[in-house]
Amino acid sequence: MSEVLRSALISVGVISGVGAFLALLLVIAERFIANYGEVKIDINKGDKELTVQGGGSLLETLASQKIFIPSACGGRGTCAYCKVKVAEGVGPILPTEEPYLDDTERKEGVRLACQVKVRQELKIAIPEELLAIKEYNCVCERIKDLTYDIKELRLKLPEPMKYTPGQYIQFRAPKYKGSPGEVYRAYSISSDPKDEGYVELVIRKVPGGICTTYIFEHLAEGDEILINGPYGEFGLTDTRASMIFIAGGSGIAPIKCLLHQIANDGVNRKGIFFFGVRALKDLFMTDEMEAFEKEIPDFRFVPALSQPEEKDDWKGETGRITEVVARYLDSQKDASEYEGYLCGSPGMIDASVAVLTDSGIPAERIFYDKFA
Amino acid sequence: MKKSPQLERLEQTLRSSRLSARGFLGDDKRSLYEILDADASVVASLGYTMKQIAARMQEITDAARKGLGDWVDVDKNLLAWASDARGIIACPWPHAFRADKTVITVERTDSGKSIQWADLNVHLIAEHGFFQGKGSAFRLEPRDLVEIIF
Ligand SMILES: Cc1cc2nc3c(=O)[nH]c(=O)nc-3n(C[C@H](O)[C@H](O)[C@H](O)COP(=O)(O)OP(=O)(O)OC[C@H]3O[C@@H](n4cnc5c(N)ncnc54)[C@H](O)[C@@H]3O)c2cc1C
Ligand SMILES: [Zn+2]
Repeated sequence: MSEVLRSALISVGVISGVGAFLALLLVIAERFIANYGEVKIDINKGDKELTVQGGGSLLETLASQKIFIPSACGGRGTCAYCKVKVAEGVGPILPTEEPYLDDTERKEGVRLACQVKVRQELKIAIPEELLAIKEYNCVCERIKDLTYDIKELRLKLPEPMKYTPGQYIQFRAPKYKGSPGEVYRAYSISSDPKDEGYVELVIRKVPGGICTTYIFEHLAEGDEILINGPYGEFGLTDTRASMIFIAGGSGIAPIKCLLHQIANDGVNRKGIFFFGVRALKDLFMTDEMEAFEKEIPDFRFVPALSQPEEKDDWKGETGRITEVVARYLDSQKDASEYEGYLCGSPGMIDASVAVLTDSGIPAERIFYDKFA
Repeated sequence: MKKSPQLERLEQTLRSSRLSARGFLGDDKRSLYEILDADASVVASLGYTMKQIAARMQEITDAARKGLGDWVDVDKNLLAWASDARGIIACPWPHAFRADKTVITVERTDSGKSIQWADLNVHLIAEHGFFQGKGSAFRLEPRDLVEIIF
């Protein structure tokens, strides 16, 4: 056997040594006590009490009771988003949780809900916002092509959803040909909060993506869609500071929602929105943004193309969005008075934060979804 | 070779499309062992190691990332760009590793040949010697890869 092959297989074999032994013990133990019967879960010191069937993970058990804890890895214990405080009723921290918990979290009894099993009465604490999360059985009323690889979905809600502009939902892609299991993915709400019966999403196709392949190749107008939400802490502050918005591609979604909020509530703050895409064929929603320029007293929309094609005949800003923003901030008397609102890829966020802090905007006045 | 239950389970994970649309093995009928073995022989015959290939891919990935979605000159004959989706994907092997959902497109200016890989591919090659099964959306042919990146 080649050296490479051996090492590839050893990475499985590690588990087959000690791990397999433990796993075997667990399987045997589960056989003897597999029927946990009904178990009670107390949430937030008596705020809510659930009676559930024991035996499952805390994450899936809560989901079965329509309590949704964010998770991005399908419960494999690798995304570490599903942290929950458990006061009573679980054993020590599991090896699978070890890498993800810091000292403070350990002291506070924080655990990964996907790893912890519900075996006996549990007392847990969940942030209030998560208890407000509900499931909505929607109808996909409209699918619109925004560019060759970005679509807008308009979903009709069965009842209005209470959300703060900037938040996102989890979208369920059901089983489809070639994808035997359902998955959930996060998408920011882009629609006007006044449009209460609906949410709209802006979705970019990801090569080889499970959920986006479903949306681009299988989803049709009129189909039923299950979503849950709202999630996230990204949103407008209530200060008077000028606002600089920066987004790339589908990152425009939550920014558009904030702009609706600003227009609806007559928020009287200066705002400028830098929207970066590569070429003209990637640019969209310019009509909507121009409408905001008319509606919001002191608001400017600045689209920028980083690599325009010759045929684009582009007269607007060019360059990477961070360069365009840096040029603008350089021209300002006091750049530090701004607040930054960002949405895009992790790389774009990092680079934008660097530009904003270099211009004197303190890091605590720059906002984006933390685990974007 | 008789498969251990762990290997059996890994192969099941790789065949399923729970983590990756169409699965990591695509419609490849060969066993995981056969796929790993065949690719390991090709890599050896090309005179490279898995680590060398992965290190070069990482170098190109890092350079492409700096472009924030634009084409970047990596070096004389190589252009690359990174497309980033927000979110993470977990390694299918039973350990805690997660990669960004980034896709790198690389093009050679001299031959015009191009290739695409995801962030996770670099880890899969470096740590597991795994180029994926034929028909997987992210299967890399070691020969094509080496020809383009070196
Ligand atoms: C808070 C938040 C808000 C978001 N909002 C939006 C939004 O408004 N609009 C939007 O478009 N997106 C948004 N996203 C991203 C979105 O949630 C999804 O991550 C994205 O749509 C991709 O999902 P997918 O199921 O299609 O791809 P997935 O199947 O989850 O991932 C596909 C990627 O995983 C990797 N991969 C898959 N299979 C393999 C393999 N075999 N080998 C190697 N690598 C592989 C590749 O990088 C591939 O491109 C948001 C994410 C977060 C966290
Ligand atoms: Zn791995």
